[in-house]
Amino acid sequence: MGAQIMFYILATVIVVFSFLAVTSRKVMRATVYLLFVLLATAGLYFIIDYNFMAGIQLIVYAGGIVALIVFAVMLTEKIGDKIESPSNMQMILAGLISIAGAGVTISVLLGHDFKQSTQNIGQNVATIGENLLNYGKDGYVLPFEVVSILLLASMIAAIVVAKRKFEN
Amino acid sequence: MDLSNFFSIMRGEIVLAAIILILLLAEIATKDKKKIVDLAIGLFLIHTIFGFFGVGEGVLFGGMFKASPIVNLFKNILNVGVLIILFQSASWVKGKLEEHNRVSEFYILLFASLLGMYYMISAGDFLMFYIGIEMASLPVAGLAAFDIYQKRSAEAALKYIFLAAITSGISLLGISFLYSASGTIFFDELKPFMTNDSLITLGFLFFLVGLLFKISIVPFHLWTADVYEGAPIGVTSYLSVISKGAAAFILIIILFTMAKPIMELWREVIYMLSILTMFIGNIFALRQKNMKRFLAFSSIAQAGFIILGMLSGTQLGMSAVVFFIATYIFSNLGAFGVVYAIANQSGKENMDDYNGFYRTNPLLSVLMMLALFSLAGIPPVAGFFGKFFLFMSAASAGYYWLILFAVINVTISLYYYLLVVRAMFVRQNDNPIPAFKSDVYMKIGLILPAIGIFVLGLYSPIYEHINELVGMFLK
Repeated sequence: MGAQIMFYILATVIVVFSFLAVTSRKVMRATVYLLFVLLATAGLYFIIDYNFMAGIQLIVYAGGIVALIVFAVMLTEKIGDKIESPSNMQMILAGLISIAGAGVTISVLLGHDFKQSTQNIGQNVATIGENLLNYGKDGYVLPFEVVSILLLASMIAAIVVAKRKFEN
Repeated sequence: MDLSNFFSIMRGEIVLAAIILILLLAEIATKDKKKIVDLAIGLFLIHTIFGFFGVGEGVLFGGMFKASPIVNLFKNILNVGVLIILFQSASWVKGKLEEHNRVSEFYILLFASLLGMYYMISAGDFLMFYIGIEMASLPVAGLAAFDIYQKRSAEAALKYIFLAAITSGISLLGISFLYSASGTIFFDELKPFMTNDSLITLGFLFFLVGLLFKISIVPFHLWTADVYEGAPIGVTSYLSVISKGAAAFILIIILFTMAKPIMELWREVIYMLSILTMFIGNIFALRQKNMKRFLAFSSIAQAGFIILGMLSGTQLGMSAVVFFIATYIFSNLGAFGVVYAIANQSGKENMDDYNGFYRTNPLLSVLMMLALFSLAGIPPVAGFFGKFFLFMSAASAGYYWLILFAVINVTISLYYYLLVVRAMFVRQNDNPIPAFKSDVYMKIGLILPAIGIFVLGLYSPIYEHINELVGMFLK
């Protein structure tokens, strides 16, 4: 019962602040709203007793990503300015499409007969670590290594954008 | 896991990753940055040649990585395309050295993106697929911004990365639906769950969005023209040929294996999108004056033909699509190569500038004509057989109306391809683009597609080889 009440509170927080984050016309405020969404998501992981994922969510998303976004926003000019509002026509069309998309998705999700997972998701960190280094069926060493190349490539792409002209 | 087995199956990926690391070290070690261009091309040439010999087949990492002869062939086709782009872009990279101060970065990003495509088409589950598709597109955004001091180049990169992020987000949502309905992300294990269940259907459609965006199928095509026009030409040809080809390869693998049970569903989707894509691509191509935009819309229309071949769902259909993509790579790279050579020398990109081009540069004009005829599908060059097999496979499945639409589109496309030919051969010009000579690399980069166009058109064992590999794969 307690878990259920917590779930509804967190879900409300996620929905309300997601909505605020995309509708806010000030970049800095949108970032802060996003922070609440990410924190509440971590709360959901705690409810299902998936502590490792909740920790990751807090450290990487709420801690790292939001801090990064804040830095990026601070470095851009005119953070106080309001973003231009889209025209009424655009708002109506986008609204209709969003409602239609959400309607279809929600009705499908509600209509589906979900089976309760039998997998033990409350794994401890030791098993997760072993899986990361395992090259068998449940192992993740290949994605782990490939992601590292992806990160390298992303860094180099960032350098391409940021590098100055050639100077002797 | 047997180590020698591992090195044999994943050799292409390991070698390409090693090339990336060597280039990183070379950037530190050498002062003469022009040498890096030669080094990158040399290493990749060796990699391409050895790709044709003795790459093993099998499954690694518990089914996450799969290699079969047809997948290795896909990688070889992509390798050849990238090699041609490397040759064509060499003089551009060298010439803009002072301005850019970026040499090894160009090659590292290009190879990293190609490595992502390798993992994408070898993927056995959605995790590797998703990492692969991200790795294939993120570095390309960096490449599109390579001319960073030109506003349109930066704009192209931004447009590409935003739209790629949105579509891969939708794709990821679809994958999560598939996972929540089945409890697995492995393609093989998902197959029995592929039914007409509404969650599976919705998940699969969402998942398709990411791939259709990469192939620039209408209605996910809006980024194509702006990004193609803004990005440097080498990157544009990479996007229009390699990126599109790789996405089409994995799409056909997924449709023909994992999604085979829900064929009736995706058939309808692909049918509608194919017609839309052909018509919209062609009608917009008619109005273009800039050659890069022109080729962008023509490549949208070609994408409509690519997915047309997937409709039959048979061995014939898959062979036709693979063969068509191979011919498309050579034809489009031939056309882009000529545009590249002209832009390098004179900076001109508009169709009107090409007036009277035959009088000053006959060889380039003939190559351009060949490439455009191949794109349009005029015999005896490769494009004719590519389209012929596609239509044959669609006819075998009874899609006669679709073939009628496709033939109408071939006619429209023939008209606008001939516009370029007319500009070069017939039209007079008081000051045409002067005669110029390209460097050795560019010459090789132009000769290779020409050879490809003829060999694929006249040497039939290639198609039979593809057909045989496809047969082994689908069995």
